Amino acid sequence: MGGFAAALTPINLLFAFAGVILGTAVGVLPGIGPAMAVALLLPLTFGMETSSALIMFAGIYYGGMYGGSTTSILLNTPGESATVITAIEGHKMAKAGRAAQALATAAIGSFVAGTIGTALLVTVAPIVVKFAVSLGAPSYFAIMVLALVTVTAVLGSSKIRGFASLGLGLAIGLVGMDPVSGQQRLTFGFAPLVDGMDIVVVAVAIFAIGEALWIAAHLRTSPARTIPVGAPWMGKEDWKRSWKPWLRGTAFGFPFGALPAGGAEVPTFLSYVTEKKLSKHPEEFGHGAIEGVAGPEAANNASAAGTLTPMLALGLPTNATAAVMLAFLTMKGIQPGPLLFENEPDLVWALIASLFIGNTLLLLINLPLAPLWAKLLKIPRPYLYAGILFFATLGAFSVNMQVADLWLLLLIGLLGFALRRFGLPVLPLILGVIIGPMAEEQLRKTFQLSAGEVSGLWSEPLAVGIYVLIAVLLLLPVLISVIRRKRGTASAAAEALLGDDAAGGPEPEQAKPGHGNENSKAAERNES
Amino acid sequence: MSEVATAKKKRVELLFAAFLLIVGIIVFVDASQLHVTYSQADVVGPKALPYVVSGILILSSIALAITVMRGNLAAGEEGEDVDLSQPSDWKVLLPLIGIFVLNLLIVNWAGWVISGTIMFFGAATCLGARRWVLTLVISLALALGSFYGFYLGLGIKLPAGILSGVL
Amino acid sequence: MTIVVGYIPSPEGEAALERAILEARRSEVRLIVVNSSKGDQLVDDRLIDAKQYHELEARLSDAGIDFWIERHTQGADAADQILHIAQAQRAELIVIGLRKRTAMGKFLMGSNAQRILLQASCPVLSLKASSDW
Repeated sequence: MGGFAAALTPINLLFAFAGVILGTAVGVLPGIGPAMAVALLLPLTFGMETSSALIMFAGIYYGGMYGGSTTSILLNTPGESATVITAIEGHKMAKAGRAAQALATAAIGSFVAGTIGTALLVTVAPIVVKFAVSLGAPSYFAIMVLALVTVTAVLGSSKIRGFASLGLGLAIGLVGMDPVSGQQRLTFGFAPLVDGMDIVVVAVAIFAIGEALWIAAHLRTSPARTIPVGAPWMGKEDWKRSWKPWLRGTAFGFPFGALPAGGAEVPTFLSYVTEKKLSKHPEEFGHGAIEGVAGPEAANNASAAGTLTPMLALGLPTNATAAVMLAFLTMKGIQPGPLLFENEPDLVWALIASLFIGNTLLLLINLPLAPLWAKLLKIPRPYLYAGILFFATLGAFSVNMQVADLWLLLLIGLLGFALRRFGLPVLPLILGVIIGPMAEEQLRKTFQLSAGEVSGLWSEPLAVGIYVLIAVLLLLPVLISVIRRKRGTASAAAEALLGDDAAGGPEPEQAKPGHGNENSKAAERNES
Repeated sequence: MSEVATAKKKRVELLFAAFLLIVGIIVFVDASQLHVTYSQADVVGPKALPYVVSGILILSSIALAITVMRGNLAAGEEGEDVDLSQPSDWKVLLPLIGIFVLNLLIVNWAGWVISGTIMFFGAATCLGARRWVLTLVISLALALGSFYGFYLGLGIKLPAGILSGVL
Repeated sequence: MTIVVGYIPSPEGEAALERAILEARRSEVRLIVVNSSKGDQLVDDRLIDAKQYHELEARLSDAGIDFWIERHTQGADAADQILHIAQAQRAELIVIGLRKRTAMGKFLMGSNAQRILLQASCPVLSLKASSDW
């Protein structure tokens, strides 16, 4: 409970407050997400108390989720895949004049799920830590490989593009002096690179510059309109129909978030399907059923809390915001991993306490303020995206005051643009940058322990289990397609070996007329 | 979708695959030039991971080239404020990059207040802002505000450049 | 000959529209209602949605005049749009609503009304929202 004492100091409360406000704002604003917001704030936190900064980031993390659901309900513009499901029923409710109820069930559901999820985090994380401290380097290495493989191969839609992104990330992580041998890798004799690429610069470049350039190249010009809302409220019937979906959504969300694979898409989808099946009003689904908002929203937030379990207990981030938060800890010289709880108990508990506080603040602020957030959407786009570029440059420059950092920012920012242009997922890259060096360290430790024997890699039972799991995850699609082919369906095994998602269809561009247009124009210019 | 457009689209993606291949080769060559003194304490050495990384990059670039040839093309990332029905707008993008480069070239000489103002004003204008006065006022306010905010709030001194006596 | 009116769903816009309908009926000419947004915001309340469009349509046909609604969601700003249409249609009159703005506000934000007044080559009738005196 010392955590609450630390988090409840006036200054930390202020940071928590700033965090949730900022988080909700970036969640509502188009084009900015919590990962970008945290990345942009990294440089500002150099002079700050580590716990205060972390408390603010936690507020942004939870607030961003909340803001995202607001826009998906009011405008049907889900900013991230996790809120796609919310938009289905939520926007229908808003169109039917029940926006207030949709916002209310989302807000209260997020609060319930976030609180239960954080409580689960408190109970589960120490158990994971206790288990994790007993693990040696081989198991750690295996867990890190698992995290990278799942994020790369299981979550994305195209495995090849996922691995390409991972490779680029790992390559960026390699840059600099090798800590063991003192050799310089990929520095090309360029002095500013010897210390490695500043994680702040990489994060800001990928999340802020890359995203801003991508949006700038495809600027939407037609305005949408919000449905005018009053303050969110719910009637008795709404409460009756919401509370069970909240709890079920939480039950789906937390475990999926806590797995090293992370991801909120699966639990929100499962929650939606379940609610549809259990509902007494299945005919309302697709026309604005409140259960379809309550369940997935709760699942989304519970999974966000779950994601913090591997991050705090193992030092393993599984989503973009957690990755940037972890980068912040490393930057502050704090070693993430199972020893975090032992070495920095004050920090960890203050962070967890601030999650409870932030959640409550979100509910208190957002119930009355929802109509105000909708006003944020009226910021003209030129100012919004020019602002992102401005603050990104400011942030990256202020770290070392080196113009070289700005060149790196631009180059990696252009890489970030290319990722989005060629359909490469961003998450494997950023995890590669952060986890890559950590994994290399564990790999070397493993071989040190085994005196160079390769068998050292599978010297721990858990490591063996994980490698089997990885193999299953990688081979499963191939097996499925082989079975399918044996049954005589047309899908070729080679297609699966190449790993591209069959569900994406052979010619995705046919579904989107005009999309090919863009590429062909780009091609013309590239040729000329 | 015409045949020609698809062919062009393929070529751009193949270029990207070639880029991946080049990065992979660079990583490989760089790793091979490291000097390694064998030691019992570090059997793996600094070369192992770079080799693995270059392997991932090279293999994925080849695989990408094959899928692209088979017609499995990339879909650009969707977003809240992204309109994929329009082609990539190079008339916005290139000036934007130009303004960014201008800023990094002049920031130390002209100082953050001036270069930042130019950058925000230029970027907003590239993106379609047409209220000159308002844009200029916002740019100045942001640049000045961040300069003094960093100095007074965080103790970070951004370059004042030619205005160093004034600010 | 035609009359062009700039319309946004606001008291000023309503006042302008009401007067424009009156003028159009009196001189028995076609009324062109221009509703436009520059489209640089995600949400723009000045643009009328489908429901408001139909209401507007019903209201104009009830007034028994010949009319045309121009609704632009992107590109040029309102002043350019109105001037362009007025010129193309050889309008005999432009009707616009004026909102209250301080000198500073006008300096910062610019004024569509001012630009129309200065650049239009036909008479411009401007109205304030309230005229209860």
